[in-house]
Amino acid sequence: MEKAIKKYWPIFVLPTLAAFSIGFIYPFLQGLYLSFCKFITIDNATWNGIKNYLYAFTDEAFLHSFFFSAGFTIVSTLLINVIAFAIALALTRNIKGTNLFRSVYFLPNLIGGIVLGYIWQILINCALALLEKPLLAVNPTFGFWGLIILMCWQQIGYMMIIYIAGLQSIPSDYLEAARIDGANEWQILTKVKIPNVMPSITICLFLSVTNGFKLFDQNLALTAGEPGHMTEGLALNIYDTFYGRVGPQWKGYGQAKAVIFCVLVIVISLIQLRATRSKEVQQ
Amino acid sequence: MANITFKHVVKAYDSRDKKGEKIVVVPDLNLEIYDKEFVVLVGPSGCGKSTTLRMIAGLEDVSGGELYIGDRLVNDVEPKDRDIAMVFQSYALYPHMTVYKNMAFGLELRKTPKEEIEKRVLEAARILELEPYLKRKPKELSGGQRQRVALGRAMVRNPAVFLLDEPLSNLDAKLRTEMRSQIAALHKRLQTTFVYVTHDQTEAMTMGDRIVVMKDGNIHQVDTPQNLYNQPCNMFVASFIGSPQMNFIDAKVEKDGDAYALCFEGCRVPSNKAELADYVGKEVVVGIRPEDLHAEGSFNSSCGFPIHVEMAEMMGSEIYVYFNVNGNPDGKKKIARIPSRENIHSDDDVRLLIDVNRVHVFDKETQAAICH
Repeated sequence: MEKAIKKYWPIFVLPTLAAFSIGFIYPFLQGLYLSFCKFITIDNATWNGIKNYLYAFTDEAFLHSFFFSAGFTIVSTLLINVIAFAIALALTRNIKGTNLFRSVYFLPNLIGGIVLGYIWQILINCALALLEKPLLAVNPTFGFWGLIILMCWQQIGYMMIIYIAGLQSIPSDYLEAARIDGANEWQILTKVKIPNVMPSITICLFLSVTNGFKLFDQNLALTAGEPGHMTEGLALNIYDTFYGRVGPQWKGYGQAKAVIFCVLVIVISLIQLRATRSKEVQQ
Repeated sequence: MANITFKHVVKAYDSRDKKGEKIVVVPDLNLEIYDKEFVVLVGPSGCGKSTTLRMIAGLEDVSGGELYIGDRLVNDVEPKDRDIAMVFQSYALYPHMTVYKNMAFGLELRKTPKEEIEKRVLEAARILELEPYLKRKPKELSGGQRQRVALGRAMVRNPAVFLLDEPLSNLDAKLRTEMRSQIAALHKRLQTTFVYVTHDQTEAMTMGDRIVVMKDGNIHQVDTPQNLYNQPCNMFVASFIGSPQMNFIDAKVEKDGDAYALCFEGCRVPSNKAELADYVGKEVVVGIRPEDLHAEGSFNSSCGFPIHVEMAEMMGSEIYVYFNVNGNPDGKKKIARIPSRENIHSDDDVRLLIDVNRVHVFDKETQAAICH
């Protein structure tokens, strides 16, 4: 069997490789080329050199959206993971109704980002109106925290499931050995549980960081970047640049921003993966 | 003083069985383990031996009764405050810590000074020959080395009680024999109370000062290895201790002048044990260890019976001879250990002689020992 796989590996690899090439590698390379062009459709692209990149790096709205996304990612990643881990800890304690709680916490993840965005827009605006505060569309601070609340609401359940799986995979012997060694609950958490759930932490941080930077539909539905692009994340800024303006140069600018965005997400994710993977242990 | 006392200890779980009754794992346990003693809890799977050990450790709540370590009632005392150390079947070494850290962890939590920690860890590592591995992580060690680290982690704490839960069951046969003698030597060196759980009767026989034989949460016999082997209190203990296990054959007690005779398989085994007086004319079960059956010609005995050899297993120095008898209370094939020079083969018809001084007699109904 193994010999046959070794001999005929191209046949096994070919379907996936073809799909990956057509669906990802070719569009990516074409996108890379187009980021140096002016175009309206991909057939009539004309070479524009590095002007698109120069524009992107000097576009204040783009720079603002980078800092907005970075801030949003840091806050949302911290909150989502701390809360998800705390809930996972609570729901792995053999208390009654854990399955019900797990399902309830996971449910928001089944609702699409756009729908959630509009639901939370209504909820938050109602609350702000009752408190006689400015609505989301005119207050960037409320917009930022609104997005944080929305993302926490959507993502905590998902991350909780990953943390629960990680916590449940820790052999009970480790915890019992720690209890006999003299560890209290906090010491068991910090010195035994957390080091042993590092693989889950790696995955959850990776997902939270990439989701934070890639935030789009929730951003579009909740604030649409208002007021005046102040609550606009990177993805929404790219979308606005590409589709929101008329003229061949805007497509090129948008494409250049998309390439920068892609590189940025890859670099940050790799740094994060490297940092947390080094702390993972094999049981 | 680190004696351990169980007074009517009960362990029950909240979950219920098919009849709707609470699941009781240990119904009523009474046991005294003396200071500095090496006691082995032994029994088949599900007999409650690990639960008993975990109650001593504080990892299982005591549902009823009183459990003392020394003079202190420990029913509600946290594991960390019981002055115990435990070696787990899976070793339970923290995978993210080095061997040194694993051994030092308990001491660090107890805020022991660094110099003292280093001294104790290095001393334990020297005794257990772990010095070259102190900077390694558990995954970089062999099974035997991991086991020694687990022992070292317990040792450095100088606990009053050492608890060992089937610590050798993940090792291969050769390593197990080696570690057995290491643990026994460790007990001598440390002079601490050891409570050791195993289902392997060879481990129990070779290591324990006393052995506690358990079944269904009940203690059947607590005694020295020699007494357990020579004077089992019932058929369960007789069958559990000894490998291959004791043969049981139905027999009838008859009066033979002033004495008695045990009649089975056409032979009469004379006995002058007064305990048999109440059983004259009644059926009993005779227990004969495989090594107390001998091939004709190599042993002098007036009692014997013919057998047809169902199977002969050559074990090197001896042959395990399997045969059937008519009165067969446990329905198992009987077995005799015959020196290999006797040259017995499958399908042979031979005569086996009984060492009449080593016959055990059990009550057929209660299965309790009548005499040995």
